Amino acid sequence: MQKWKQWSKKYKTFYVLNIVFLILLVATMIVPLLNTLTVSLSSNIASMQSGIKIIPTEISFEGYVTIWQKMNLWLPFYNNVLVTVIGTFFHVLLSALAGYVLIQKGLPGKRLMMSLILLTMMIPGEAIMIPLYIVNKDLGLLNTLASLVIHGLVSGFSVLLLRNFFMNISYELAESARMDGANDFKILFNIYLPLAKPGLATVTLFEFVSRWNQFTPALLYINDSTKYTLQIALRSMILSNDATSSSDFITPNVRMAGIMIAILPLIVIYPFAQKYFVKGIMLGSTKE
Amino acid sequence: MNIFKKHMTLYLMIAPVAIYFLLFAYYPLARGLMISFQEFRIIGDNTYIGLQNYITVLSDPVFWRVLVNTLLIGGGILLIGFSFPILVAISLNEVLKVSFKKFTQMVIYLPHLFSWVIIGGIWIYLLSPDGGLVNEIIKVFGGEPIHFFTQEKYAKPLMVFTAIWKDVGFLCILYLAAIVGISPTLYEAAKIDGATRWQEIRHILIPQLYPTMKVVFLLNLLGVLKIFDQIFIMRNPTIAREVDVLMVYTYEKGILEFDMGVATAASFFVIFATLILTLIARKLLRFDEEA
Repeated sequence: MQKWKQWSKKYKTFYVLNIVFLILLVATMIVPLLNTLTVSLSSNIASMQSGIKIIPTEISFEGYVTIWQKMNLWLPFYNNVLVTVIGTFFHVLLSALAGYVLIQKGLPGKRLMMSLILLTMMIPGEAIMIPLYIVNKDLGLLNTLASLVIHGLVSGFSVLLLRNFFMNISYELAESARMDGANDFKILFNIYLPLAKPGLATVTLFEFVSRWNQFTPALLYINDSTKYTLQIALRSMILSNDATSSSDFITPNVRMAGIMIAILPLIVIYPFAQKYFVKGIMLGSTKE
Repeated sequence: MNIFKKHMTLYLMIAPVAIYFLLFAYYPLARGLMISFQEFRIIGDNTYIGLQNYITVLSDPVFWRVLVNTLLIGGGILLIGFSFPILVAISLNEVLKVSFKKFTQMVIYLPHLFSWVIIGGIWIYLLSPDGGLVNEIIKVFGGEPIHFFTQEKYAKPLMVFTAIWKDVGFLCILYLAAIVGISPTLYEAAKIDGATRWQEIRHILIPQLYPTMKVVFLLNLLGVLKIFDQIFIMRNPTIAREVDVLMVYTYEKGILEFDMGVATAASFFVIFATLILTLIARKLLRFDEEA
């Protein structure tokens, strides 16, 4: 507060206005979330009454029970966990393998492989949705959760990011292990991976979030409602404003409970995510 | 041959990645190009029809409408999504109270983690005329509830707004990371020269952000051309005309109407545009030099 006295009047005005601006910005982020939480915790009847709801006054789990059990959200939730966990695991593994290969010295064809991997980052995924749909159809993958695991099984971004992490690890360390008779798998798993933990964490978190939220592939490949993933199931539950028949009317508390359930895992990993995401995106966007 | 044998393990390690990219990136790209020149049939052989699909797309008034929508919505997101986070980052950097700074960062980053289904769900409810928070507040002040999501005049601004709402915190933190990395000696030098705070921001802080700005601009530029899920999730029949973008057109034509030749031709405009824009952007921003 000592500084405050030294400031010019102009700067003081600016400082106060600046804080007000940031408070307003925070409010536009936090009020919608508080509203969602409050409505999700209200009873069916209370959620339909009008009024400003940003602080929970009553606690009712009616909405959660309805969407989880009566509307069977547990099934798409389970499918989502399966696809996310398996998909993320293989994504990280394959990216690490490729990243490791791309730091080897004197490997014939390395430049070509590198260019081919970098070039994939320029292909806009959405723009090839039709041929991708056909490829999945030809391989008999339509309507399987496997199609969703395979979609984005590896990405140029992750390979590049892990490669950049591996490059910072001393090459001599690997060389001496090789002298002692270690093969490439041993060197990767025992030397590189433990030393590149921040890189692995970054790729894992990125991939976890994007797979948890994955929408378009599931929309394209999955028709069978027992194989719906979370986003697809939620879309029909919380965005069905065209459900005009009164028997399917879904009360706001149920919709908001669905949202809370879907964001819960993200909130849990959030403290880690914030730390790694910035580092990751900057490292991943760096060229050689 | 010996040298390949020596590196056998390494080739094996990268093989799954190579196969994946060939099968799920390059092959679909080539297949797509092929389909765009074919008359697509569900049963039987496809015949090549030259540029007919591209001509069909270009003479479809709906294509031009979705192109204009893509440019307007994408342009809005690009313009505001690029500049607003810089403003927020500089503004946050001026705050002295660390706890307030940390809290703000934490809160504004949060929506970046949410899917479009979630963001659509939150905002459609917030803005709904029956019981939505925004309209409840309007009612408290004696106003009439506004049907935000069913009026054409709000449609495009809403798409731009929600896109900014989702990503402002994320982009802001990228800039903040760059601001924190600025060497203090630069400020000290400026202090000796008697620079005001505003001059410091203008002549030291902002120039130091250029490399980050390049990254963000390129990321946004390539992102806006292929927007799909945001629009697909938040559109409804009354505003579809205003918000449908190229990728929604492709999806509807290809998957719902099964007119895959035309759909693929339309999506190749996005692929060509992406390639050209990336090359131009890299040249103009001299992307390879630094960063």
